[in-house]
Amino acid sequence: MQNGSTTAKIRAFLNQQFPMTKNVSDETPLLGSGLIDSLGILEVVGFLEKQFGMTITDEELSPENFGSVHALNDFVNSKRKEL
Amino acid sequence: MDFLIHQMLLTSAARFPNKEVLADAKQRLTYEEFARQTQSLSRAFRETGIQRGDRIGVWLEPSVAQAVSIFGIAQAGAVFVPINILLFPDQVAHIVRDCQIKALVTTQSKMATLASVRQTLPSLGFVVAMDREAELFFDLPVYSFEAFCGGPRADGGNAAPIEKDLAAILYTSGSTGKPKGVMLSHAQIMAGSSIVSNYLSITSEDRILGVRPLSFDAGLNQLMTAVQQGGTFVPMSFVFAKEIVQLLLKERITGMGGVPTLWSLLTQPSSTLEKHSLLNLRYISNTGGRMPQSVLVSLRRMLPTTKIFLMYGLTEAFRSTYLPPEELDRRPDSMGKAIPNTEILVVTDKGEPCKPGEVGELVHRGPTVSMGYWGQPELTARVLRPHPFLAPELGDNERVCYSGDLVKTDEAGFLYFVGRRDNMIKSSGYRVSPTEVEETLFQSGCLREAGVIGIPDPVLGQAIKAFVVPRDGEIVKAEALIAFCTERLPRYMVPKVVEVVGQLPKTPSGKVDYPTLRNNLGA
Repeated sequence: MQNGSTTAKIRAFLNQQFPMTKNVSDETPLLGSGLIDSLGILEVVGFLEKQFGMTITDEELSPENFGSVHALNDFVNSKRKEL
Repeated sequence: MDFLIHQMLLTSAARFPNKEVLADAKQRLTYEEFARQTQSLSRAFRETGIQRGDRIGVWLEPSVAQAVSIFGIAQAGAVFVPINILLFPDQVAHIVRDCQIKALVTTQSKMATLASVRQTLPSLGFVVAMDREAELFFDLPVYSFEAFCGGPRADGGNAAPIEKDLAAILYTSGSTGKPKGVMLSHAQIMAGSSIVSNYLSITSEDRILGVRPLSFDAGLNQLMTAVQQGGTFVPMSFVFAKEIVQLLLKERITGMGGVPTLWSLLTQPSSTLEKHSLLNLRYISNTGGRMPQSVLVSLRRMLPTTKIFLMYGLTEAFRSTYLPPEELDRRPDSMGKAIPNTEILVVTDKGEPCKPGEVGELVHRGPTVSMGYWGQPELTARVLRPHPFLAPELGDNERVCYSGDLVKTDEAGFLYFVGRRDNMIKSSGYRVSPTEVEETLFQSGCLREAGVIGIPDPVLGQAIKAFVVPRDGEIVKAEALIAFCTERLPRYMVPKVVEVVGQLPKTPSGKVDYPTLRNNLGA
């Protein structure tokens, strides 16, 4: 249930800020294909920190955590477990 | 002696057949493999009906495949048109229509995003797709990029262009209207490559990182210098500055170029640049806007053994000036002097040479002055004009490039940027025309007037600010307008700030008075 709502929130944000992500699957690479660029990623970081009340460290800024909707969801959920 | 860009590749392939020329996350090619793929690709293009001078678009992320496409198109005698991967379908469609692109090299997924504009692209004859899934895109044949690169090699130069022929069209924005295609001949690209190799001392030992799109003159130049000198080119796209640092280390990169926004991101702690010593990194070069002094100071501290070249160029003249690194201490805010084999004139409004300290327009003379704008002779004539000081006996055939940039020199002849003559905005290294953003704002249907300017931004150089006047009875929310633009424009063109006002300042002829907007309302 919580999983579903995390994904939904992430998707809603991405669809609004990066309209080209509307038709992609949860596994589609978001980075490197022009869907989200280096300036856009700053917005994604800002959104996650605000929406989910988390602090993202320098080490966590990586394609592994931000590479797809699925990866973002896993990243947010793993951060929540730390709390 | 090489006259054509694909000849450079064949020459380097003969000298260094087994040396690595290209490397990205997916593949690594030697010169021999690179030459074979481009020859196969050129043959496949010819066999699919491409004629000398046809335009072929390359809509790919920075990659080995992008470089192979460019050289394969050149070898086929055709014209390559690199298209920035960040562009939206409507903007890609503008480019395809403007120069009547006949074939497009892209990915299966990027091609799919063009579905809504397919009917507006009558010139397009076929698509060459990476990771091809279907053989048709609507009515258009789709060929496999991998198959095109793996077929038989071209058998000779039956379609051979000469150095005066058009080799590339680079789309860039001006102060008004839609992006225009700057035409570059083989000779101009080759001259740019020789000149930049000369002052950056590029050799076959160099491993150059390509983070700038090849749709930029400076990005394309990096690829050309690497191939000309027998070096290695490592194209990459990044979202985290940290990825650049990791690749600099992993690939033992010796040189890289970037725009001010990139250096700004790289000097932030999260990039980890400060934690590493990059002893292989021989030089870095900045172009696409002035580097902020604070960023320059940080870079010099973090990269104590790396030479920093501040460069200036505009697409219409390819490359223009650079500041030798040994001058950084004395003149950190200078654009430097003319690149080799090039003359920079500073000219008053009356067409006379400026004295030191006097502000005038930068005028570029040399072998990299472009062929002008595709399909726009009047606009070309405004930017490429006869040499103002040439002896009359020489006639007026030589064209020099009027940059629209206002500069001045010091007593020693070093140049300093003062401002733009027109209203063009420079955001994140990209040229943005206010009218392009204004047209998108008007599409919302709720505005009577709109005026767009650049405002200072620590990361972008300039961020975009829009002043809008609602139509009678309309209630306009800034956030809604920004969201509207986000759906239609790449991020560097989306206004960061929208201010709703009652009216806009006007010139006597009734146009938006941009200087007044900038001076009074820009903050």
